[in-house]
Amino acid sequence: MKSRPLATAAIGALALTLVACSSTAPSGTVTDGNAASFKLEFQTGLAVDTPILTTLTDLTGKFQGANPGVTIDLVPRSNTYEADLKVRLAGGNAPDLWATHGWSLLRYSEFLVPLQNEAWAKNFNPALDAAMKNKAGEFFAYPVDTDIAGIVYNADALKTAGVDPTKIKSWNDFGQALSALKAAGITPITASGKDNWFAGNLVDWMLSGAYSEAQAKDLANGTFVSDGYRLVLDQIAKWRDEGMFNVDYSSATTDDIARALGEAKTGFVFIQNSLTNNALEFNPDAKLGYIPVPSFVGDNYLIGGESQAYGISKASKHIDTAKAYLAFLAQPENTSALAAAAGTIPGLTNAKVEPGHLAASYDAFVAPGNIPLVPYFDRVSLPNGMWNTVVSTADSIITGQADVDAAVGVLKSDFTNLHGQSQ
Amino acid sequence: MTTTLSTTGRRASTRRRTDRRLGGRRANLLYVPALILFALFTVYPLLKGVELSFTNWNGFSPRSSYVGFDNYLRLLHDANVRKTLANTLIYGVGSTLVQQILGLGLALALDRAMRGRNLARAIIYLPALVSPVVMGTMYYLFFQYNNGVLNDVTGWFGGEKVAWLSSANTALIIVVMVNSLQFVGVSMIIYLAGLQSIPWMYTEAAMLDGADAWQRFRYITLPLLQPAFATSIVLNLIGGLKLFDVIKVLTGGGPGYATNSLSTFISVTYFDAQSAGYASAMGVVLFLLIVVFTIAANTALNRRRMEEM
Repeated sequence: MKSRPLATAAIGALALTLVACSSTAPSGTVTDGNAASFKLEFQTGLAVDTPILTTLTDLTGKFQGANPGVTIDLVPRSNTYEADLKVRLAGGNAPDLWATHGWSLLRYSEFLVPLQNEAWAKNFNPALDAAMKNKAGEFFAYPVDTDIAGIVYNADALKTAGVDPTKIKSWNDFGQALSALKAAGITPITASGKDNWFAGNLVDWMLSGAYSEAQAKDLANGTFVSDGYRLVLDQIAKWRDEGMFNVDYSSATTDDIARALGEAKTGFVFIQNSLTNNALEFNPDAKLGYIPVPSFVGDNYLIGGESQAYGISKASKHIDTAKAYLAFLAQPENTSALAAAAGTIPGLTNAKVEPGHLAASYDAFVAPGNIPLVPYFDRVSLPNGMWNTVVSTADSIITGQADVDAAVGVLKSDFTNLHGQSQ
Repeated sequence: MTTTLSTTGRRASTRRRTDRRLGGRRANLLYVPALILFALFTVYPLLKGVELSFTNWNGFSPRSSYVGFDNYLRLLHDANVRKTLANTLIYGVGSTLVQQILGLGLALALDRAMRGRNLARAIIYLPALVSPVVMGTMYYLFFQYNNGVLNDVTGWFGGEKVAWLSSANTALIIVVMVNSLQFVGVSMIIYLAGLQSIPWMYTEAAMLDGADAWQRFRYITLPLLQPAFATSIVLNLIGGLKLFDVIKVLTGGGPGYATNSLSTFISVTYFDAQSAGYASAMGVVLFLLIVVFTIAANTALNRRRMEEM
């Protein structure tokens, strides 16, 4: 009897400790790996109510109908999707499937099942090779679409300013177009420091044409070359000084930018084509298009790479089911439907291209195959983790918080540290 | 009757036994569960954070290696860390100052008998119950350029729209004010409790001696509020130094790096820049900063209290 308080305290503490320390069961294992029914967790990276999530939900319903007992739990994205994923990977609690948002190779490949031997892999779009395949030819995600991005414009805004987008061949031409837009009372470039990937895109888009092939190689090998950065940041600082950016830059949200684009209140936005879908929600009659990005040192180009792509966790207990699910999504009609819902080009060559409202730009710049498609600069030439520095330094220049020298200094410092960390 | 006496006797005996058991070393066992939870969720993460600060871990990979004091040396040369450290001090000290001045003023005003006093106290305290994320979002809607409440109101009077969050200095001030206004109610409550614990006889004696209102405040109220000062200042200081949510929602740390606190910069460095080791080193510095400031504030306030006594 005397030992009861001690026993109670010890048992209570032990119970609490066990509760706190017990790890959650691996996702996708409702009961066990051989159970008749089980659930796979799929972090889709897609916002609720988006057309692509709706399409994915419909297709997943069909897959589940054909595979009784299998449930694919489609989880919409949160605001902290990347951070959530990193925490789960660090904790050894990866979902069965997840959207790799451009990083299937460089960030997630060590956690993902290689898919190059799947039957549908022969239809992998070669335009994605640079971004998604390693030197051994392995790739780690099913590519729903091929991201193709240029500089998005509103045709009505350009028309009002007397600008012909097809005649923009250089940054000088682009600068003249910006001046014409400003003179017409239209915001030349709309970006955002709040949803700050717009600022990062601006630099990332331009960097691909600011480095020679040899310089880009040096960067990829860990030698910081400042010339291209300086060139790009100088250009952005000049546009800032000339008042070419939106006045609400610091507080504009993605919706604000989509609205401005849809309502012809801005001429240009440096963003993936998928934003044009948002713009059409504000003005279904908006005439939108995109032009190739002018280059400082070579040919003008479009930017392409991994966009929507889904990988399978190596740690999943249901890899075969997950592969079957991806094989189902990879059927031509399903990939076509997903890419069309995303407003992008399919990631498999046997799927149907439906460029929709961007057909004119697609026909002019992509279909002929004359314009080179280059990968996102930060993904191939900068160490993993530099995107944040690209964004913040771009934001610093646009808002005048830093001069070009200071911004290049920050880039160099982070480049050196992150490259050292990756070795 | 015998039965009743017997039952009462047993109860008394049981109570004495329980009292004895609860005394001395055995009573210490009662806080073991709390101690274990504290160790699991506070001490262990702290020690793990310190360990991480000596690695180059990227935050998710199974691989990392020890880099000694490299992360701490890097801190010394990082201009953004210096900037965010300065911002953190501005948030900590600035918010504390504003909250003490407003909190004490409101407490003095609402300590008097007046109609609607309780309602006013409740309204001032209510924001402290709201999530800082909600507070930040509300003020974002207030200060944003397009459709922002402030710009709309100034527009009614012919004023030009202002991009309030574009200027680093303005954005810093806005963050300090939003944080201060949210938690001024906490300071007010602490000071109200302090004011109400001051015996009336001191004030009455001073009035009989002819002391005016300022003299009573200066020589009676202020000295006797010292414990309340210590509590309020330390709480506000810690809150300000750890400021995260409001910044994240209101400015995202921008423009550039201009409004980042150490907390937001740690988050960005850990998750976005994938430098968990470096971020952990910053976390250790923030921890030490809070410890130093808290001890310094407590020591200074206690010394002053002793002098007053």
